[in-house]
This record gives sequence, C-alpha cells and structure tokens, in this order.
Amino acid sequence: MFTRRDLFKVAGVGAAALLIAPGSVKESFGVKKISIDDALKEHLGVTLKDLKESNLITVKAPTIAESGANVPVQVKANIPVDRVEALYIFADNNFNPWVTKVELSSMNGEVFFATRIKLAKTSPVRAVVKMKDGSLLMAVKEVKVTVGGCG
Amino acid sequence: MARIGRAIVRVPRRISKGQVFKVQMVITHPMETGLRKDKKTGKLIPAHYLTRIEFLFNGKKVTTIHSGPGISKNPYFAIMMKAAESGTLTIKYEDNKGGKWEKSLKVSVA
Repeated sequence: MFTRRDLFKVAGVGAAALLIAPGSVKESFGVKKISIDDALKEHLGVTLKDLKESNLITVKAPTIAESGANVPVQVKANIPVDRVEALYIFADNNFNPWVTKVELSSMNGEVFFATRIKLAKTSPVRAVVKMKDGSLLMAVKEVKVTVGGCG
Repeated sequence: MARIGRAIVRVPRRISKGQVFKVQMVITHPMETGLRKDKKTGKLIPAHYLTRIEFLFNGKKVTTIHSGPGISKNPYFAIMMKAAESGTLTIKYEDNKGGKWEKSLKVSVA
C-alpha cells in the first residue's frame, strides 16, 4: 500500500539525488579533479589513512582567506634539518592537490618554508614532512575561502 | 608580460657566522594553471608555471623547490639558510615552457 509516509520517502530520495548532481558537473568541464588520496599515492606512495598528525610540525595559514588566489602558508618543523629529506604541501580541494615539494639540506639550518598558494575553495592545507628514514609526519590547517582562486 | 622571470631576492644585510637567516624571493610569473578561460575568446589559457627553483650557495645545493600551478601568481618563497663563510647565492629557476633564468647575489658573513 502506498501511504503518505512512503510518498515523503520517495520525495526525499529525489531531493538527495538533486543535491548530488551538481558535484558531477565539474567533471564535464574536461579536467578531472585528482583526489587527495591519489595525489598522496603519486608523490608519497601512501594514502591519507597512513599519515599521522604530528605536533612537531606547524602550518601557519589564515583561518579565513578573502581570496583563494593568494593564501600565505608557512611551514615549520621542530626537527633537526639533517633528518629531513623533503617537505610537501597539499590542498585537498584543488584540481591537483599537490602544491609543492621542497628538498632541504643541512645548509638550511632549520626546517622552514613559506610561500603563497592558490585554493580553489575551502580546504584543509596539509604539510607533510618526509624524513630520511622514510617516515612521514603531517600537520593540517583548515582554510576557509570566500572567493576561489582557480579562475 | 615582458618581465616574466624577473626576480627580487632579499637577504639580511648583516649575518654573523653560523646564524640561521631567511632568504626571501619574489619572481614575476603568471603561473597559469591551464584551467582558466580567456573571458573574451572563451578558450583555455595554456598552462604556464614555474616547475623548479634551485638555491645554490657557492655551488652547493641548499634547497630545491618543485612547484606547480598550485602556487600563486608572482610566487613568493622563503627559506632559511646557514652559511659558514661569505659567498654567492645563486638561484636557478625554470618553467614548463622552457624558460630558464638565473640570479646571483653576494652574501657576506661577518
């Protein structure tokens, strides 16, 4: 029997389908968004689950960025630079989440890197430090973007 | 944009031996992602971004930055450095269209 309650259920499913639909529009744009897991796999050979957050690393970025075209990011790590091989920055919601890789050497004195990055929309900004022994440490900072920066 | 590749590098004027100092750099570059459309023609603007920035001190590698379209237009980079003696800091950088530049400056350590 079709009751009034069932009708609401059907309507609910329809509405949910409509909500999901706009997300797939992006792919018709021609370029497929790379997921953060794929980007991590490509550059570090791991997925998000394998990364541990560490309080040795700090990511300095604004909590709310007015423009996504220019978001200052500063990464610092309280680790001797001799033990560090490289430093990575990822932004989850960009078309290509990989932003940069910085190879450090003992001549740096300390683990530090600052730059300005683009964010397509509100996204966690991740800094990953790759140690010479192969271990990975991560720090995350969520940045809210009011205007996107990728055109 | 005739001035693509122009760079400004800044280091502290006085550096004492063994001090960790900051090297700041700004490069004039459009950093096009290749995803943006020209508003007038509706065509995609081809990607044009810096791929690699190398910092060398007296010929020895200090830092290599691998960058991509995720870095902002007219990119800014800052790194830390330690120098035991005076020397030349050379920065070599290149983009995905084959552009190559080099910039050198003296660093005096007292």
